Amino acid sequence: MSETNSTCCTALDISEMDVIAAMKKIQGYIDISPGDFREVFQVAYAHALQRIKDSLTAQDIMTQPVHCIRLDMDLIQAATFLADKGFSGAPVIDAAGKIVGVLSEKDFLAKMGLGQPTSFMQIVAHCLNNRGCMATSLRNHSVEEIITAPAITAGPEMTMGAISALFIDKRINRLPIVDPEGRPVGIVTRTDLVQSYCLTRSRLAP
Amino acid sequence: MNNFLQKMRGDGQSPPRVSLAEVCWSWIGSFLGIAAVALLHYKLVDQQGLMLLLGSFGASAVLIYGAVRSPLAQPRNLLGGHVFSAIVGVTAFQWLEASPWLAAAVAVSTAIALMHLTKTLHPPGGATALIAVIGGESVYKLGYFYVVMPVALGACVMLAIALIVNNIPKTRKYPEFWL
Repeated sequence: MSETNSTCCTALDISEMDVIAAMKKIQGYIDISPGDFREVFQVAYAHALQRIKDSLTAQDIMTQPVHCIRLDMDLIQAATFLADKGFSGAPVIDAAGKIVGVLSEKDFLAKMGLGQPTSFMQIVAHCLNNRGCMATSLRNHSVEEIITAPAITAGPEMTMGAISALFIDKRINRLPIVDPEGRPVGIVTRTDLVQSYCLTRSRLAP
Repeated sequence: MNNFLQKMRGDGQSPPRVSLAEVCWSWIGSFLGIAAVALLHYKLVDQQGLMLLLGSFGASAVLIYGAVRSPLAQPRNLLGGHVFSAIVGVTAFQWLEASPWLAAAVAVSTAIALMHLTKTLHPPGGATALIAVIGGESVYKLGYFYVVMPVALGACVMLAIALIVNNIPKTRKYPEFWL
C-alpha cells in the first residue's frame, strides 16, 4: 500500500533549467552540475516529506472533541444529529462509551437502496420521477441496523504517513482515534489530513 | 554494453557562466594569493636554498579564489589535502626511488585514497604528491621537511589571503566550514 501512496505523492519535480536559473541568481561559482543538484533535491525532498509524515502523528492533526452518535438512537435522531453538526458521518458509541462502528452517508444511501449500493443522484432521480421519497424506508430503524462495524480505529501515535495509507487502503474518509480502552479521543478526517500536508515553514525545519 | 556507451553521452547541462563581478574577485584573490607566496619565495626563502612556491598552488588558487563555495576549496581540504598528499609523496619517493614510474603512480593514487578517507579531497593535493616524486634535487633534499615548507606554510599563506579577500564582497563568504 505504501507503494500506491508514494506514486500518488511524487516529489515536486524541478528541471535542470530551474536549477540553472537558480544558479544564475545565486552569485558565485557553484561546484555542482545542474543534473546532480536536481538528483540531490529530489532525494532530499522525498526525505523531508517522509520526515514530516513520520513526525506528525494522529494526536497532532486530529479534531477534538469528537462528536459521536449513540448506538441506541433511531435513524431520524442520527440523521438530525449529523445534519445539525454538518457532518457526513460520525463514530457510533455504545452505552459504555466505546466505539462500535461508524455511521455515514454511505450507510444511509445503502439502506435507502434496500441493500443495493445507491448514489445520491440515483435517489434524486427516483424522487423526481414521482416514485415517492425513498427516505421513508429509514423510519422505525435503529442506528445499530445500518452502521459499518467494526469501526476502523487507530491510536494517537499512528503517523500521518500510516494514516494516509490506511485511508487509501480501506477507502475511508474518517478515522476515529481511540484510547487503549476503545473510547474516542478525537477523529482524523480527510480535511485534517489534507491540512496536515499543507506545509508551513516551521514544519519544514528539522 | 549499450548502457555503458549511453552513459558516455553526458546528456546533462553545463552550469551557467558567473557574473563579471565574480570574475574580477576571482582575479583579485588569486593575484594577491599567488603574489604573496611568490614574493616570500623569491625575496626571502629562495636565498636560503629553500622553497615556498609550489606548482600545485596554482591549482589551489583556482579553487579557493575561483570556486569559493566548493567543498573541495574549504580550509580543511586545502590544508589537509596538501599535507597528507605531501607525506604520501615523500614516502613514495623514498621507498620506491628505484622505479620512478611506480613511485609517481603510487604517490598520486594513495594521496587520493587518503584524502577521501580523511574527507580532505583537494585536487591540487594530487600534484603536491606527484611533485614530491618528480620535483628534482631541490625537492628531494628537503625530505619530510617538504611537508612543512613549501607545502603547509605555502598553503597557510594562500588561506590567509583567501580569508581576507573572499569576505570583502557581499556575495562571497569563506569558508563554508572549518572542520
